[in-house]
Parts: sequence; C-alpha cells; structure tokens
Amino acid sequence: MSLHHKLAVLVALGLAAPAFADNPYRLKPGATGDLCLECHLTVQETMKLPYVHTPVKEGNCSECHNPHTSAHGQLLAAEAGEICSNCHGDVVPDDPRSVHAAIVEGNCITCHDPHASQHENGLAEAGNQLCFSCHDAMATKLGNARFPHPPASDSCLTCHDPHASTKAEFLLTQETSALCADCHDASNASFVERHMGYPVADSRCTSCHDPHGGETAGIFLANVHAPLTRKMCNQCHQASSSPDALATKKAGVELCRSCHSKEVNAIEASDRLHWPVADDTSCLHCHSPHASNEDALLFMPTKELCGSCHENSVKMLDAAAFKHAPAQEGSCSVCHAPHASDNPLLMQSARVDDLCATCHDWSSHSSHPIGEGYVDQRNMNVTMNCLSCHEAHGSPFRSFAIKDPAGDLCVECHQQITK
Amino acid sequence: MEYGMMRGLRRVAVVSLTAFLVAGSVAAQDVKLRPLRPIYVDSLGTAIQAPEGVAFDGSSRLVVADTGNRRFLIFDVSEDSFSPAAEFRLSQVPLPVRVRFDSGGGILALDGKSNQVARIAPNGTFKSFVEIAPASDRGAVVVKGFEVDDDDNLYVLDTAGARIVVLDSAGDLLREIGFAPEAEFLSDLTVNASGTVFAIDSVGRRVFVARKGDEALAPLTESMDEDMAFPAAITADGLGYLYISDRGGSGIVVLGENGSFQGRHSGRGRSQGFLWYPSGLHAGGGYLFVADRGNNRIQVFEVAR
Repeated sequence: MSLHHKLAVLVALGLAAPAFADNPYRLKPGATGDLCLECHLTVQETMKLPYVHTPVKEGNCSECHNPHTSAHGQLLAAEAGEICSNCHGDVVPDDPRSVHAAIVEGNCITCHDPHASQHENGLAEAGNQLCFSCHDAMATKLGNARFPHPPASDSCLTCHDPHASTKAEFLLTQETSALCADCHDASNASFVERHMGYPVADSRCTSCHDPHGGETAGIFLANVHAPLTRKMCNQCHQASSSPDALATKKAGVELCRSCHSKEVNAIEASDRLHWPVADDTSCLHCHSPHASNEDALLFMPTKELCGSCHENSVKMLDAAAFKHAPAQEGSCSVCHAPHASDNPLLMQSARVDDLCATCHDWSSHSSHPIGEGYVDQRNMNVTMNCLSCHEAHGSPFRSFAIKDPAGDLCVECHQQITK
Repeated sequence: MEYGMMRGLRRVAVVSLTAFLVAGSVAAQDVKLRPLRPIYVDSLGTAIQAPEGVAFDGSSRLVVADTGNRRFLIFDVSEDSFSPAAEFRLSQVPLPVRVRFDSGGGILALDGKSNQVARIAPNGTFKSFVEIAPASDRGAVVVKGFEVDDDDNLYVLDTAGARIVVLDSAGDLLREIGFAPEAEFLSDLTVNASGTVFAIDSVGRRVFVARKGDEALAPLTESMDEDMAFPAAITADGLGYLYISDRGGSGIVVLGENGSFQGRHSGRGRSQGFLWYPSGLHAGGGYLFVADRGNNRIQVFEVAR
C-alpha cells in the first residue's frame, strides 16, 4: 500500500471514530429502540406511563443494555449502579458524610424504575410509601405514634436527602439543631420556658426528642431520665442563669453517683470493671443522660452497642448456623455483667454450670457427668462444664456443639472410641 | 533516553529490594512455637486459677499472676523444667493481672482491682505503688498495661488519659506518649531493646508504634480483622518479633517489628498447646509464656526459628 493510500485510510478511520462512539453497535439507521421494542412488548406498555426515562424515550436502549452479550443481568452493559452513575454521578457529592445504602450497593432501582413510572423522577412509589417499602418499622412507628411529628408524616424528604448528605449523618440535610431551627424558634418565649431557660439552641435535639413522633406531646424518646421528666435539669447541669449553664455539676461517674450511688458502689466493689466504666466518660459510653428509645437509656440496641467494640463476637454469631437465643436477641447481659463482675469475661456467675442452669435444667438433659468432681480429660485444671461441649454464642453444629456431634466432638475426650 | 530511564528505575528497584531484605532479615525467618508441658500447679499441687499475667527474667525465674487464686507464684526455670519455688499473697495487690521483673529481680505487678502498679521486692514483700498523676484534662488514671525496659524505665498505659507515661526507675517522669487518633481501645503495650513502644488495640485489631522521640503513637499495621478477633496483650522478644495474645480468637499472632504478619499459632482448645481466652504473655530466653486464663494454666512454648 502506498503512503498516499495509508494516509487515506487513516483519515477515513479518523473521520469515522466519532460516529462509532455514538453508535458502538453500528446499528442501521433507524434501528434503535424501535428494533428492541419489536420483541420487548412489555416495554412498549411501560412507555405509556407518564414519566419515561430519557434514554428509553429517545430509543437509546443500548445506552444501558448490550444487545449481544453481557456479564451482568438483563444484558446490562455494566453493573447497574455504574450505569446510573454515568449520567447521574452528581447525586452523591464528593465528600459525603452519609450516603443512602441503596446507592452504596448500586441498587438505584430499589427506588427508581429504569424505564418508566407513574411517579415523578421514575420513583417506584410516591412519597413516604417509597421509603416505607424498606423502612417498614418506621412506617409502623409513624402510624402508631400518638403524637406524630407532622414534618415526618408529611414527607421524609423534609429532613432527609434521599441520596447523600455532606452536612450530617442519617442523610439529614443539616445538623439536627439547624434542621429543627427551621421550624422551631429557640428565642420564642414558649420554647425558652419549655426548656427551663437553658440555652439549648445549639444542642442536639434528638438526645431528648424523637424527630418522628412519640407518645407524649413533647415527642420525647420512649424512656426519659427521671430528672428530665421532673424538669430538674439543674440536678445535673449548672443553673440555667449560669454563664456555663450546660456544664455538668460534676464530671463522669461522680455525677451519676449523686443519685445512683448504690449501683456505682456495687460496681466499684467488684473485682473486674468493664473498661468503659472506668474512665472519665464512664456511664456515657453506653447510656444517654437524657432519653432513649432503648431500655436503661442505652444509646442503641444492646447487640449493636456491645458489638461496637466486640465486633468479633457478633460476627461469629452471625456466621453460626445455630445461635444461642440470648446472644441472637442481643441479651448479652443475661450471661455477662455489663458494668462489673468478680469473674473473668464479666460472667454473671463464677461457675458456668450455675449460669446455664438459670435457664437450662442440664441435670436432666444428659447423663454425661458434669461438675466439680469430673476433670476434663484434656486439661487437669478444668472440670467438665457446659462449655466442654457447647459454644456459648453459637456454632455451625446443632445444640451449639463445639465440634460435629457426629464426628470429633466425643472422640476428643473418648479417644478409645476411635480404635 | 527511555532505555536509560528504565535502567535507572531498575537500579532503584534492586537497591530498594536489597535494603528491604537486609532490614527485614530478622523478620524474614519463620517463627515456630513448639508447645511444652504447661504449668498447672504450685508446690502443693494446688491448681492455678484463671491466671492473667506471666513474666520471665530471661534466665532462671518465672513469676505468675495467679489471678483467680489472688496470689503470685514463682517458678525456677532450668532446661525446659519449671519447678515451683515460692508463693505469696499481698493485701495491697489482691488481683494481680500483669507482672514483670526489673533488673534487680524485683517484681512489678498491676492490680486489676485498684488499677495501680505495685513495686514488690524479690522476696515478695510489698514496697510501694507507682505514683502517676492524672493527665491534665482528666480526673482518673486507668492503667491497663505496663512494661519495663532494660534500664528499668516503666511504661504505663493510661487509657483514661489516652497516653503512655514513661517513668525512670526512681519514678520520675521521663516523657508522655499520646494515643493516635485512630486508636479505639488500647489494652496493652510492650517495648523493645531500642526503646520503641508498641501498643495493641483490642477493638481496632491493629498495632501502634512510637519510636524514641515520638510524641504520639502512630499506626504500625492496618486493622488485622482476618488475623485477630480481640487481641488483649502484646510482648516483644528482643529479636525483632512481636507476639500478640488474641483473647477473642484464642491464638497467638506473630508480627515482625515492622508490622509484617509472620503467622498465627495455637487455637481454641483444652489440650496441651491450645488456648482458651488467653491473657498476658511474655517472651524471652527462647520461650513464650502465655497466661492461658480459661485453661487455668501457663502455656509454655519453645520458640524456634
């Protein structure tokens, strides 16, 4: 081929390149979405809906689907979330503080129909109903609340961004105090009176109030610290007229001791403190000083709270095929003392058997010798107890066995059986 | 020019690799832990109960914090043999949970009840508590672990103060090392011969380091979720290795002092060589001693490379 011919080919390829980019499958003129719709009749029906996704409307099916082959479901050209972000990447800002789980997982179609919908923005449902399709517990709560918070009942989007937020956790469009201040004027006389004159404008309102609704007119969280119910804020805080009104009168456990001296003294008399109890933050590692939806004013459900440090235990439990009910339910304190104990692992009893016996009548369930008089054959310093054969939290084997009951469990001690 | 650049890059790579291999030559050796017969009883045959601390003087004496029995046990060590030598109890230290020897044969012990470090004479008599002032903005001192270096300087892990306090043998403050912001819950520390401090994070499952002159700990490793469940104690062997007692996972994790993973040993069990919620540990003299709390014994490993 002469140089002239080579140049001609290169020029032709160069001119063709943009056309190829626009039409990667080299469809014949007119052979766009119309060609697809000849077979995909249901999409034809879908397109009659009021809100049709632009690529569908324009017949650009191949913008999302590969007409030939694909490694993804629905012949998608890439992972679903990746396809959406090609055009809608700006729904998640560069430095978000919170992102909706559906987006993180690439499940945009949880909320949006990729073809067409009855609802604006291609949403699968309208208004709060869309959110409730996943957040069903919230639907129940809002439905049952004696005093629902009107903004929450009206629309979740009053406070939450459905995609991501750069300003706050939980997809909130602003930090809590600023968000609440949109409607609640902290300088209002009634507001000041209800808050006992304390300067709470910049405080986190949700430490006392449930933003979704509650059983009291003040939409307080379900469980409220007694001094707060009696409006005795100054039991813990400086006087409202003080320049440092929100400061506490004492630090750490000493403040709590003022009322809970019996509990604190009992904790301190124990041999082993749970380490969070010991430092200056002390009780406030786990308990809210104001109000909570959890028992004992815990910041979050027990399993989540304990799991925030003891993640390994929760992981093991989640992976176990057979789970011990108290562990599964997050009733960690059935077996472990949350504050202090005289026993290792903060166990509630010195002897495992005694602890298990509070729920299980083990003396009747097995004829296997258990107790102080029976030495574990594997270790002369350990006597047979429930944990000789059972895992406390959960196990891959039935009855929470430490090993397969049909295999290694018994022969670990009874080795003569293998002969 | 491109060829010249490639040659230059290759030379840099070779030099870097050589430097890496030289620097890491100690840590590149395999560490093998061979279980020896555990220590079960005192001289009267009384069983050890839930021990949490152990220390070896490197030649002939071993001290055990027999926590469940609220006492200290001393053993004579000779050629893989551990003979009970003494027992003592101290009213000032009712719940010993960590122990170490100083260079004069004295014992330092952390009392889990009062959270204080006690100085104990070689004959077992109580001398004094180590005095530590609270951090400037904190009301309490909560000691979770401590270590003694070759010069008898004492390194105390104060979790309430988010710091490591370093005192000389007279108890005078030498320096303070702050926690790294990434630290979640530091539960023990160790010091190597060159004065580098290593701390273990039980919740974050990672190791932090502070070299001489550093004002604060910095991460040595990433979170080792796959290798550790809930690490509780750490010790350096003076030969370039760190041993970590993984209480939640009932195992021993070995790292190089550069943070490189060298292996995981033992596992959950009752038989010799296995562990059940292990607590403190100490390496030296070719041994690794582990306070095997849930098995009521001191598990002894011979360290081979």
